[in-house]
Amino acid sequence: MKVDDPELYYMEGFPVPETPAPGEDPKPWIETFVIGKPLPRVDAYQRVSGSAIYPSDVSFPDMIYGVVVGSPHPNAMVERIDTSKAEKMPGVRAVITGSTAGADLTWKWPYGNSKSKLFDPHCRFEGDAVAGIAADTPYQAADAAAAVEVQYKVLPFVVDERKALDPAAPVIHGKDNHVGKPDTYERGDVNKGFAEADVVLETEYRTECLIHTPMELHGCVARWDGDRLTIWESTQGVYPVQQDVAGVLGMPLAKVRVIGHYMGGGFGSKLQAGKYTVIASLLAKATGRPVKLFLSREETFLSTGNRPPSNMKLKAGVKKDGTLTALEFTCLGTGGAYQSGGISLVDWLIRDLYTCPNVRCECNDVFINAGCARPFRAPGHPQGSWALEQTLDALAEAIKMDPVDLRLKNIPLYSQARAGDPPYTTTGLKECIEKGAAAFGWKEARKKLSQTKQEGHIRTGIGMGACLWFVGGGRPPSTIVLKLFSDGSANLNMGASDLGTGTKTVMAMVVAEELGLKIHNIQIENADTGATQYATASGGSKTVPTESPAVRAAAVEVKRQLLKIAADELKTDVQALTIRNGEILSSREPAKRIKIPDLKGLKQRGVIVGIGYRGPNPSNKWVNPFGAQFCEVKVDMRTGEIEVVRFVAAQESGRVMNRLTYDSQVIGGITMGIGLGLTEMRVLDGNETGKMCNRNWHDYKLPTALDVPREIVSVPIDPGDTEANSTGAKGLGEPVTIPTAAVIANAVYNATGIRVTETPMSPVKLCLMLAERDRRK
Amino acid sequence: MMPNFSYLRVNSLEQAVEGLTSPETRVLAGGTDLLGCLRDRIFPADKLVSITRLDKLRGIEETADGGLRIGALTTLTELIDSPKLKERFPGLAQAAGEAASPQLRNQGTIGGNICQKPRCWYYRGEFHCLRKGGTLCYAFGGENQFHAIFGTDNKCCIVHPSDPSPALVAFEATVRVVGPKGTRLVPMEKFHVLPAENVEKETVLEQGEIVTEIVLPKPAAGTRSSYRKVRARRSWDFALAGVALAVAFKGDKVERARVVLSGAAPVPWRVKEVEEIVTGKKLDASTIAKAAAATVKNAQPLEHNAYKIPLFKAVMEEQLTAMAKG
Ligand SMILES: Cc1cc2nc3c(=O)[nH]c(=O)nc-3n(C[C@H](O)[C@H](O)[C@H](O)COP(=O)(O)OP(=O)(O)OC[C@H]3O[C@@H](n4cnc5c(N)ncnc54)[C@H](O)[C@@H]3O)c2cc1C
Ligand code: SF4
Repeated sequence: MKVDDPELYYMEGFPVPETPAPGEDPKPWIETFVIGKPLPRVDAYQRVSGSAIYPSDVSFPDMIYGVVVGSPHPNAMVERIDTSKAEKMPGVRAVITGSTAGADLTWKWPYGNSKSKLFDPHCRFEGDAVAGIAADTPYQAADAAAAVEVQYKVLPFVVDERKALDPAAPVIHGKDNHVGKPDTYERGDVNKGFAEADVVLETEYRTECLIHTPMELHGCVARWDGDRLTIWESTQGVYPVQQDVAGVLGMPLAKVRVIGHYMGGGFGSKLQAGKYTVIASLLAKATGRPVKLFLSREETFLSTGNRPPSNMKLKAGVKKDGTLTALEFTCLGTGGAYQSGGISLVDWLIRDLYTCPNVRCECNDVFINAGCARPFRAPGHPQGSWALEQTLDALAEAIKMDPVDLRLKNIPLYSQARAGDPPYTTTGLKECIEKGAAAFGWKEARKKLSQTKQEGHIRTGIGMGACLWFVGGGRPPSTIVLKLFSDGSANLNMGASDLGTGTKTVMAMVVAEELGLKIHNIQIENADTGATQYATASGGSKTVPTESPAVRAAAVEVKRQLLKIAADELKTDVQALTIRNGEILSSREPAKRIKIPDLKGLKQRGVIVGIGYRGPNPSNKWVNPFGAQFCEVKVDMRTGEIEVVRFVAAQESGRVMNRLTYDSQVIGGITMGIGLGLTEMRVLDGNETGKMCNRNWHDYKLPTALDVPREIVSVPIDPGDTEANSTGAKGLGEPVTIPTAAVIANAVYNATGIRVTETPMSPVKLCLMLAERDRRK
Repeated sequence: MMPNFSYLRVNSLEQAVEGLTSPETRVLAGGTDLLGCLRDRIFPADKLVSITRLDKLRGIEETADGGLRIGALTTLTELIDSPKLKERFPGLAQAAGEAASPQLRNQGTIGGNICQKPRCWYYRGEFHCLRKGGTLCYAFGGENQFHAIFGTDNKCCIVHPSDPSPALVAFEATVRVVGPKGTRLVPMEKFHVLPAENVEKETVLEQGEIVTEIVLPKPAAGTRSSYRKVRARRSWDFALAGVALAVAFKGDKVERARVVLSGAAPVPWRVKEVEEIVTGKKLDASTIAKAAAATVKNAQPLEHNAYKIPLFKAVMEEQLTAMAKG
């Protein structure tokens, strides 16, 4: 980037915010000059040109390659492993199994209390680790993996959660396949609520299992230096990986350094270490060489997480005036072969999104012989939304009300599902629905569609839905160290990972806003447990609201010290000083001004260090993002082909920190929602083998660039949240994908009169449903 | 990862034929299908014979009788962009345009396309199924939503993945094949092999044989053609159901019709029932309805692909209706 890039005009000459007195918190920004602008990513050039070094790019001259030998069966006992052939193969340097000294380790599955061995003799899902191999080239390693002779006792399997509780189903853990007691929630009295209702509807829904498939594969490079282990891992959080690896290997945290400057996507599947991380570390130790171990694309489909399938039933009651009287929800889900949150948060929207006095939820999690779930962009929410938003749509129709009005009738101002009914700091739900509807032209489109009889077999339909996201307010801890060097450039030290969402860019903008620095003079060092500050993983849409207030606090601290030095040198009152264009000037005495690099005090010190912490969230209030989405589809009434024509997303995620990265999240979230709604599903061979059929990118159908609707309009709603935190930002990345699939389903219903209650809505399903309806007519 | 193989890039067709010495020697054209198969260890290869230098096999030329000759190495993109093809064989140009993704069409050749391997996920996965020399077809009792409704012979229910092939059958194309025993001409309709005949082969090619060109005879005057494909994913995907039509009209009556399905059977599937119904008739609503119903009359859907019945009917009705309009 050129130093005086004219596109960065807004960096020039703007006043920086007032400096709070020592001990005081900064006030909310009133006018911003950098924050909110559509600034390209600070590392865009590196990412696009390929010069960014991702963990997959890390390389050392003496590095060798690791592979994991995985079970080809969904349920099998390893009876014998013969590695002798593999060990003799060219280039092979180490083969480890559960009986290798030091590899007989306990593995704790991340979301629950399940434990197994790292190399467990009972492989309860396809792809679970049986052995690890390191060789000089990836090809030699793969060949050696094929030469490991494993004698399995193949056991009967169950890969469909709907069959897991059948008496004949093989039991994966414990007495039956229940993970635990049902997860229940109740408020009010649903029976009373249904009795009060004018209309009661009950519908079953199902969402399929989705795989994260981020661009960068799961894996790492592990290298030992004496008793110190360094891991370059593609991860959403270097500190959680450090903790997991240290835990499994019994090492002090301080001896495990995890680095992940760049990472190519995770969507929730990279919030912790994988078995691959530990296996790479063991192989590196055994060989005395750095070991690179990245799973293959196919392996990542099996063992690195998924959005679990949900089988839901929702019964809902409404009065003629649109008052919701009762919601009763059940769900059967599965986290796979070990406890992994198979039903986690599926019912949250039923509990909390709309005002309803009587709610009952019961969710059951069962084991199946398939890979474990991991958080997946808004865990549970798109599933629950699939049921709730479609049900609301059906209720609206039943009472002849506009679905927009039905939702507006039931907007809560506080969180009903949390103890003590805490209010939200802000809820933009109403505004999202209203402004989104206006931007979409909802009323007009509805009127037009109801007045015109559609000819031909291509029918237009519109649909809408709303959402909130369970968290998204961020939280402590976070520590930021900001160093201002004597030439006026700054170094921002932050533990958090940038998932590709633009975290680094947003943080540089906060520093630029506070100190008046140019973005390209701010260097960010992040995601390194050895060299950056403690941070929790980037997940839950918490990174911006967690880190940006800490960054702001650090910048304010630097500013205080800087102005103090300047006040001494200019012999003036610090209160009167401000910064503009890299110059410190007095508002009272125009002659008193000095450029930052000319400050003698700063030259002498060499650096000003400001430390910022993330303070607590407001007590007794909740910080949640909200949203509403609207779409138009065209449906071929004969073939069941669905074209998503346009989308409007009105999202309330507090302050818009960067309009460009904000809109990118909206587009990405909607695209992912289109995948859930229209094309994606894990297919397991339920009959003969229990193996996954579609473990690649053409059988597992992700939306591609060509599937993104031409028109996606992002309508940011910012009610000015002054309580959430000092930057007023809330999470965005997850809420943007929550209602999308249901919104499309509502539009498809509007076009066809057919309610598709199971994902994905491809012609495979819809064509048959259309034909069956025609037959009945 | 891949087993060792040797690589030969030939300068003449003779060298290519000579180079194809064993059943495990493979012809390499654009590589878009072959390399994936080798990476996934679908079948072994001891030698790859690259024919990409054989410029004579590239391009589209007019034949003396007013048809076209398409060299095997012509890319799908070249087919789409050819004005001659668009003008005389629009259904084929459409079919080429419906195949794969833009990048793959730039690299993939028409010869490779008609010789490509099936996409059954068992075949492409770690399943040693019948077509790979095993003892079992996993699809009949398994996940068969993308499988065949015709021609399975209760052996193997792949659908042939090629989009251009049904259009080539509809245009009554001929495939020129050169091999150790010389040259032979195979009608496109006979080029692909049903499981009943040989469950391990998709084409009639024998060891050492190479497709050199595809010859399209001049279509009868008044021929209209089209190709329509329905996918699970709109942007690019293999066919759930596809219909290739080449219909010669005389006045407003159908004089001769070729109706061929993709996504339906282990080979491009000609539906003579439909051809018979429309021949000699005006394409009015009742004829079209009869034709649409006849499309799937003899279909044998599997557990998860019954949707193909209404889908093929719908596409047939849509396409014949569009064709009647001209
Ligand atoms: C992800 C993906 C999606 C696709 N989607 C579609 C689709 O929707 N519709 C569709 O029609 N196709 C589709 N294809 C297939 C694609 O069109 C073919 O891969 C391509 O046309 C093959 O051409 P190629 O030159 O790359 O062949 P290669 O990969 O080089 O060869 C393919 C096969 O044909 C043999 N072969 C090649 N040329 C000759 C010859 N002249 N004589 C004898 N044998 C030969 C090879 O030995 C090999 O077995 C898709 C492919 C991929 C990878
Ligand atoms: S359909 Fe054919 S290719 Fe697929 S599993 Fe059966 S035999 Fe194999």
